Amino acid sequence: MAKSKLLTLFISVALMISVSACGPSLVISNVDYAQPIESVISPDADNIATDERYAISFSVAPILEEENVDSADQIRLIRNNKGYYFVTAAGFSNVYVFEPAESELKLKRKIEITENGLGQPALNQRGDHIEVVDRATGNTYQVNEEGRI
Amino acid sequence: MENYMKKSLSTFFAMLLIAVSYTSVEAQQSDYEIQQEFRAEYSQLADWIDNAVSTTDLEDISDRIDELESDYRGHSDLINAAIYPDSYQSRIDDLRSRFSAAQQNIATIEELNERVENLSTDLDDFRGQLSEMDERAEALQREIRDSQANERRLSNLVRQYRENVEERDRFVGEFLEDLLSRYESVDASTAAEIAQAAERLEENPVDLVRTILGEYVNYANQQTDLSAPEYLSMKAQHNYFTRLWDNIGERLTQIFDAEEPVQAYQEVRDLLANWNSAIDNRLWGAISNAFSQNGIELDNFTNASGFNNALQSYVNDATQTSRDQNSEEDLERFQNFSNFWNNTVKANWGETLMASEVLSYSQLASIDSQLDDWNQAAIPTSNLMLILFLISVAVIIGLVVALVRKK
Repeated sequence: MAKSKLLTLFISVALMISVSACGPSLVISNVDYAQPIESVISPDADNIATDERYAISFSVAPILEEENVDSADQIRLIRNNKGYYFVTAAGFSNVYVFEPAESELKLKRKIEITENGLGQPALNQRGDHIEVVDRATGNTYQVNEEGRI
Repeated sequence: MENYMKKSLSTFFAMLLIAVSYTSVEAQQSDYEIQQEFRAEYSQLADWIDNAVSTTDLEDISDRIDELESDYRGHSDLINAAIYPDSYQSRIDDLRSRFSAAQQNIATIEELNERVENLSTDLDDFRGQLSEMDERAEALQREIRDSQANERRLSNLVRQYRENVEERDRFVGEFLEDLLSRYESVDASTAAEIAQAAERLEENPVDLVRTILGEYVNYANQQTDLSAPEYLSMKAQHNYFTRLWDNIGERLTQIFDAEEPVQAYQEVRDLLANWNSAIDNRLWGAISNAFSQNGIELDNFTNASGFNNALQSYVNDATQTSRDQNSEEDLERFQNFSNFWNNTVKANWGETLMASEVLSYSQLASIDSQLDDWNQAAIPTSNLMLILFLISVAVIIGLVVALVRKK
């Protein structure tokens, strides 16, 4: 009796595995998401930043809250080759790294750059990392999705 | 020396500092900024090119394009990505192509400006010379009026006056010929550009044509005692103007009266029609009088074909009369007509008769041919042969009668 149950269980598991193997499983590797140039976006009155060129729109309010600032004239946004979004702005102390999800941007890393806040930040695409430039001070920093390099 | 060394060292360090800070700033530039600066410099150069109005404006632009190309060559990949689907090279090529088009346009505009300036000068000269000729003509007319007593002097003045009028007509004709050659091959776009440049002219060629025609109409209306060849010259001049206006009028009004070209064109056509009527009012009477004064009474006529018909009819009738009557009077009539026709009409009026389209070459030749028939018919036939024949017959008859009687 127990043998027969085990056999039924084994057949069921084998059937499930074969059914799931027949489902969609196409995976494309080595996708390069890198934006060659950062996007410089002025959020609207509702703090919605819209990038026409790369077709993304999101609210910057949570980031402003995190930075303890009321507003930002311009948000600087760049996506690295792995697909992570890097966001910063003048007056921010950090660079925020977001991972895209279904209708979401999930914070992957908050990278502290300077306690005093960036004066005139810019984000440059540099192959395997993102270069953070503060044009006000002349300082440069290298970051990736894991933090400062 | 020590001071000098110190100074040199401090200068060296200052320069080194500047170089290092420049390199560091260069290295810390934002990619976004680079492409924005490229876009800004491109737009500025494009604006300069588009707004350039003289070769001076274009002088440095070519060098600036070269500078832009070399300054940003190292960032071409970045710029290509930023301005896709445009590219760094296509923007540089675009500037060069705009520059070359602007160079051509400016060269055309400068050439047109020069052309308009020359035209303006020519118009001034033309007006000046025309006034001089008019003054001379008026002076001669005054002298003609004052010199009625002296027939020889009067004849001399009339000749001078006619020469002056002919010279004026020739001068106007040459000026308009020149105008025609300048503007007959002008294409529509160039015409529009000339029209803009011509707005500066105080009196443009269309105004001048209107003024000249107005003067001709007045002259034709006021002169009631001119001779037939003078009216024929006027008619020839009118025909010349009409042909010229048919060729050049539309183009000239489009260039120089761009706001209302159709109206301007029609105004000149109306003036030409007025001028023609003024000439016709006097011309046919003057020709008829000239024939009449030489004892040739033509049927009435009021146009060119009527004149030709009157001549044909006169010669045909006279030929028929000569054939019927063959009198001395007919011969005299022929000789009178033939003299006037050959020595006055053909010799003095011939060219203007054809130029004025009053008589064509073939019509003149046809009258010549009919004159030959008239000549034949007009020469009186001799009766000598008939008399000799009758005498011979009488002698033969007399001899025959004498012989019969002897037998």
